[in-house]
Amino acid sequence: MKKLIKSSSSVDKSKVARPCKSVPGAISRRTFLRNSSLMAGGAALATTVSPVMMKKADAAVAAGGKIEQVKTICTHCSVGCGIIAEVQNGVWTGQEPAFDHPFNKGAHCAKGASIREHGHGPRRLKYPTKLVDGKWKKISWDEAINEIGDKMLEIRDKSGPDSVFWLGSAKHSNEQAYLFRKFAAMWGTNNVDHQARICHSTTVAGVANTWGYGAMTNSYNDIHHSKAILLIGSNPTEAHPVALQHIFKAKEENNAPVIVIDPRFTRTAAHANHYLKIRPGTDVAIIWGMMWHIFENGWEDKEFIRQRVYGMDDVMKEVKKWNPAEVERVSGVPEDQVYAATKAMADNRPGTFIWCMGGTQHTIGNNNTRAYCAFQLALGNMGVSGGGANIFRGHDNVQGATDLGVLSNTLPGYYGLSAGSWKHWSRVWDLDYEWIKGQFDSGSYEQSKGKDVPVMNTKGIPVSRWIDGVLEDKANIAQKDNLRAMFFWGHAPNSQTRGVEQKKAMEKLEMMVIVDPYPTASAVMPDRKDGIYLLPASTQMETYGSVTASNRSFQWRSKVIEPLFESLPDQTIMYKLAKKLGLADQLFKNIKVNGEEPLVEDILREINRGMWTIGYTGQSPERLKKHQENWGTFDYDTLKAEGGPADGDYYGLPWPSWGPPEMNHPGTPNLYDTSKNVADGGLTFRARFGVERNGTNLLAEGSYGKGSDIKDGYPEFSADVLKKLGWWDDLTAAEKKAAEGKNWKTDLSGGIQRVAIKHGCSPFGNAKARAMVWTFPDPVPIHREPLYTSRRDLVEKYPTYEDRKSFWRLPTRYKSIQATDFSKDYPIILTSGRLVEYEGGGDETRSNAWLAELQQDMFVEIHPRDANNAGIKDGDDVWVEGAEKAKVKVKAMVTRRVGSGVAFMPFHFAGHMQGENLLDKYPEGAAPYILGEAANTAFTYGYDSVTQMQESKCSLCRITKA
Amino acid sequence: MATMKFYCDAERCIECNACVTACKNEHDIPWGVNRRRVVTIKDGEQGERSLSVACMHCSDAPCAAVCPVDCFYTTGDGIVLHDKDICIGCGYCFYACPFGAPQFPESSAFSSRGKMDKCTFCAGGPEDDHSSEEYKKYGRNRLSEGKLPLCAEMCSTKALLAGDADVLSDIYRKRIINRGASAFDWGVNFNNTKIQG
Amino acid sequence: MRIHTLIMMVCLVLSVFQVQAADPSVDPPPPPESLLSINPGSELWREVRQRDGVVEGISQVKSPGANVLVNVSGQSWREYRMQELVPIAGAAILIVLVIIAIFRLLRGRIMLENGRSGVKILRFTTSQRAAHWTTAILFVTLGLTGLILLLGRKFLIPLFGAEGFSNIAVAAKFLHDYLGPVFMLALTWLFVLFVRDNIPSPKLDLQWLLKGGGLFGKHASAGRYNAGEKLWFWLATIVGLAVIISGMVLDFPIFGQARATMEFYHWVHSVSAIILIVVSFGHIYMGTAALEATFEVMKTGYCDANWAKEHHDLWYEKVKDSNESAPQSQAQANTDTGQRESADSAY
Repeated sequence: MKKLIKSSSSVDKSKVARPCKSVPGAISRRTFLRNSSLMAGGAALATTVSPVMMKKADAAVAAGGKIEQVKTICTHCSVGCGIIAEVQNGVWTGQEPAFDHPFNKGAHCAKGASIREHGHGPRRLKYPTKLVDGKWKKISWDEAINEIGDKMLEIRDKSGPDSVFWLGSAKHSNEQAYLFRKFAAMWGTNNVDHQARICHSTTVAGVANTWGYGAMTNSYNDIHHSKAILLIGSNPTEAHPVALQHIFKAKEENNAPVIVIDPRFTRTAAHANHYLKIRPGTDVAIIWGMMWHIFENGWEDKEFIRQRVYGMDDVMKEVKKWNPAEVERVSGVPEDQVYAATKAMADNRPGTFIWCMGGTQHTIGNNNTRAYCAFQLALGNMGVSGGGANIFRGHDNVQGATDLGVLSNTLPGYYGLSAGSWKHWSRVWDLDYEWIKGQFDSGSYEQSKGKDVPVMNTKGIPVSRWIDGVLEDKANIAQKDNLRAMFFWGHAPNSQTRGVEQKKAMEKLEMMVIVDPYPTASAVMPDRKDGIYLLPASTQMETYGSVTASNRSFQWRSKVIEPLFESLPDQTIMYKLAKKLGLADQLFKNIKVNGEEPLVEDILREINRGMWTIGYTGQSPERLKKHQENWGTFDYDTLKAEGGPADGDYYGLPWPSWGPPEMNHPGTPNLYDTSKNVADGGLTFRARFGVERNGTNLLAEGSYGKGSDIKDGYPEFSADVLKKLGWWDDLTAAEKKAAEGKNWKTDLSGGIQRVAIKHGCSPFGNAKARAMVWTFPDPVPIHREPLYTSRRDLVEKYPTYEDRKSFWRLPTRYKSIQATDFSKDYPIILTSGRLVEYEGGGDETRSNAWLAELQQDMFVEIHPRDANNAGIKDGDDVWVEGAEKAKVKVKAMVTRRVGSGVAFMPFHFAGHMQGENLLDKYPEGAAPYILGEAANTAFTYGYDSVTQMQESKCSLCRITKA
Repeated sequence: MATMKFYCDAERCIECNACVTACKNEHDIPWGVNRRRVVTIKDGEQGERSLSVACMHCSDAPCAAVCPVDCFYTTGDGIVLHDKDICIGCGYCFYACPFGAPQFPESSAFSSRGKMDKCTFCAGGPEDDHSSEEYKKYGRNRLSEGKLPLCAEMCSTKALLAGDADVLSDIYRKRIINRGASAFDWGVNFNNTKIQG
Repeated sequence: MRIHTLIMMVCLVLSVFQVQAADPSVDPPPPPESLLSINPGSELWREVRQRDGVVEGISQVKSPGANVLVNVSGQSWREYRMQELVPIAGAAILIVLVIIAIFRLLRGRIMLENGRSGVKILRFTTSQRAAHWTTAILFVTLGLTGLILLLGRKFLIPLFGAEGFSNIAVAAKFLHDYLGPVFMLALTWLFVLFVRDNIPSPKLDLQWLLKGGGLFGKHASAGRYNAGEKLWFWLATIVGLAVIISGMVLDFPIFGQARATMEFYHWVHSVSAIILIVVSFGHIYMGTAALEATFEVMKTGYCDANWAKEHHDLWYEKVKDSNESAPQSQAQANTDTGQRESADSAY
């Protein structure tokens, strides 16, 4: 029987997954265009958008279009995978692996591999929409901006600018994030925040207060050098899949033991050598339990501690209480496992320490993160390649948005909200400080050290508490009035807890403005007849700019396609709104605006001029574009370019990239690494907390960076310090003029930084890291039981905090909640987490058919014992009722992944509310393919004692058959 | 001539499903049809492993053997393809295939399944290379451009390998050598008190 | 052809003397203690190789059977279909046709002993004939289309080419899949109309069988239906039921049937279909060319009185005097004083 033999001509079959240089012209041109039509049959709902609206998304039928390859960066997580988009006639027709990209080498997860869907996205929000009498009505941009602006001004008039909440996004580009923060400042409020609050705010606070900066200290690639890897509350197989590429490299080539500490046997745990199953909320217990073994066996790096750590003695005192029996009693992990895991880290240094939401989302989140830091400090794993605190951030630009200050407690660059900070930024913005001050409510609602503090200098309401800003009695809020209007700008609501109250708050608001590529659950949760505006924002694929990955590297995104439908990039929307509000001249003073689109490069240049604190100054548009053009020249293991146009740079100029761009600082790949000269990316611990405390030297002792002219610790650099050191004359005349009376953060010439670095010194000083933070509620991290805990026997010994009358402008409860025993009625510990197919609030990824097909049902993971006790079988519909009586109807997944007494829900679903399907409330043609209950509807009150982070990793619930 | 094969390294697969969506993306595959899938066994328990499965392009393909209309053919590279114009949608290839590779757009009464669809190793089908006919029926033809299947190229951890069997074996062998030194400690070890150095 | 016959014979032999694989009921000896916790990877591959049966995992892809890692039954089914069914079916059909041909050659056409009498007796009502022919046509169509799908690849592709045969196969599948359920209705109808007189009369039928149905000289008594016809009726009913039920399972893959299920029912369907086909050759031969004056009976509904006397003497006795005889038959046939059976009626 003759078989047809299909001959494949001229193909080099020896190429297997090796970097493939895509040389245009060498590849045969595709003479057809993709049929970008979508699903046929199945669960897909046909779009009802008119053909006119679809014209931008329809595949152009012309054949023979030239294929353009556009480089951009994935928008789904902080790994920052490189993407090569193939575009023909303005239509996104294909994706090729970016083999050259140093972070991912062409690899993706399900989300990155399907991101081309952003190029046709039929479920997008297509035009400005307004809710009129319960129905969605299309309006024009001008109408929308006008009405929104009018309402805002009316509110400002009656209640003051603090009554508008500016909820921004971790998915802004750097330029958009910066502009957003600046906009809120122009408007006159500190009520501006974003996802970082509910993600890594406790990390930033805890870690920055430990050694100076609150960011990932090394990088994903640097894990190649790790000899041991510990992950706590982190599940990268679902949340950062490409990070596993790097983790496996260390595991396989360095024989690095992988230790996973998690209440669930996650997919990450399945690849681990050690798995410690802890009770949710017992991070401090387990870490101190491990430290107990470290100190018992003398495994700590005594020299490192002596030179570079303050307060380890205080930590040791606390750790002594955590003997194996107590650790097991509190966390549930037996001694042999704790010992084995500790020994693995101690024997195999440098080891890296990774954590994510499992550790951060607690009322004691700041304790957890500082405990993690103390662990690494004790083992001397900081400031070395292969070690570090490798904090995996979440969204693609949560790092950038955090750095650029889309936070209610600071201006861009973590300068804070003091008068000095405002003055610095006024200078950068080239605006009159008094004018800015005048934009704010002149009242004062808080006191500090007996003096009234103007509202301009007080922390605003954080996103985790915005509902209380609306619902709380205004007499109890430290601002003039309640929140009356709110922007949901690139931020979904279902990632925050207390969904039922959120619904109420949304109904009480007078205006909701949702600026997003998708309607999000905010559009459907409230039962409203009017007062909701939906403004279609473009995705990052439809604009360009820079983004900061978790490892602090900047990456340049090029525009893949023009904005779809009537969407506009954030910066353009901001321009339109600013113009309406009469703030455009100030907001864009030194930023060119082409038509209505602000020039992205100018925004970055302004950032470069002002963000001296974290070295956002060296990453100019030109340098970043050069890096984008030369991905392949950066080394996979070190991220350093050897040769090529970016020779000597570290990929993305990971901040701090000190000094102005002309100084050409290569970036700092691993923070606090004294084995390198600061000029080559080395660094010391920041001298942020003073020079001495109670007679103890807070500066480093005998530890200093390579090539440092000061062979010991030193304080942060200022004009005075330079003069004392006799280095003042190293400054040029122009620099002297700018630097006089300033310090390394406020000298706009960058001269102080330049000179310090010239002498091999870190501009921010050389100090010890603090294992004990005396300004925090718990200076030495201690364990406290979650507000909703099933271990009532531990509440007496490990109680939560006292209630606070005013914390971030709001009354915040702790003890009064923990006082009630909910464990009888709600016996199961509820925790939450991620799925690889979805991201964040989920409306965007659930609108991607290729992803949505893979996760069609919202579910709760329940242990067989608990399922049997409740008469529940796998696949049954069940009610998960939270301890605050909100309940969600989901499918039961009976699995041993969770321990008995623990249940898990993914938080990405939305569109159902306590059993009700809200599909009909979505604007026509803009609902995601898959809807489900939001896990956070059932999650409860509970906020971190420093940052107001929500406690969404340990609450209580009961599960019954529906 | 090279023999094209897939290999999924179970020690690296993390069920990120990039291979699944990359394939859907590249070939514009409708809802309900999945040329590639990831199967996880022992889910949630010690020993859990995931494997990415699609057509394995068998040397002695059972699908080709049982097809009533003999619509399959094997290319010189060992890739098993089929002709949708000849396929009658009987489903026998799906019965025979150990990996469940054949997919059908419908599953209706009177055994109407539509034309079988499956992984083509990104090598298109019997139509002319890069023709729009080929694209509509079989998806992209990457192999004739010297590229490899997108699922493997985009695998997050390089668990899924695709290409010449000899080269794949070499890569996997190197991994085994790396892992071999710790083979005695491999996998999840809950009660491990002896740590290798 | 010879090779196929050889293969078929070998298969037949093998299927009788099953070659035993390694006995799965005897476990290999347990590994020594010291190796027990080493290399869990071997555990994984044991599962993947399905040492202990089908391994079901989970998959986010929800196509039927997606969560099964390796479907082992497919291989046994492939071997059954390609190495047993195809050759055996082909051979069986040929062999039966050859046997019939040989029988014809040896025995020739079986004529009426006393020739036609000219007297007609009503044997089948209009509905009986309708039911029979409907079922017959459906059966032949289904059988033919089924055989096209089974054997067409081997014999028809060389004749019609790949595309040509594909068109034929598409038509064959269409007819087969849609007519199958219709055949179910028709066979049921046929069963209802013919069952009463096909109830076995054990003594009579056995005697008829022992006498070889009168094919080789000796006269065998029979009622309305002889044992041969009854056997065919019950075979068609029972094996027909098997072919129908299995066919329905195969024809409606919308109830989440697993592949192993489909493979099992395919085996049932194919075995019963082949049995029915080869036996139907006998029935068709017997009903058409084998005997004189037989085909007209099912064609017109009336049979000749002598034919009735010769082949269904007991039935003839019962009905010869009935009012239902055909109008033109006045002639008195010789009647035997056979036992009158209690009132029966085919009417």
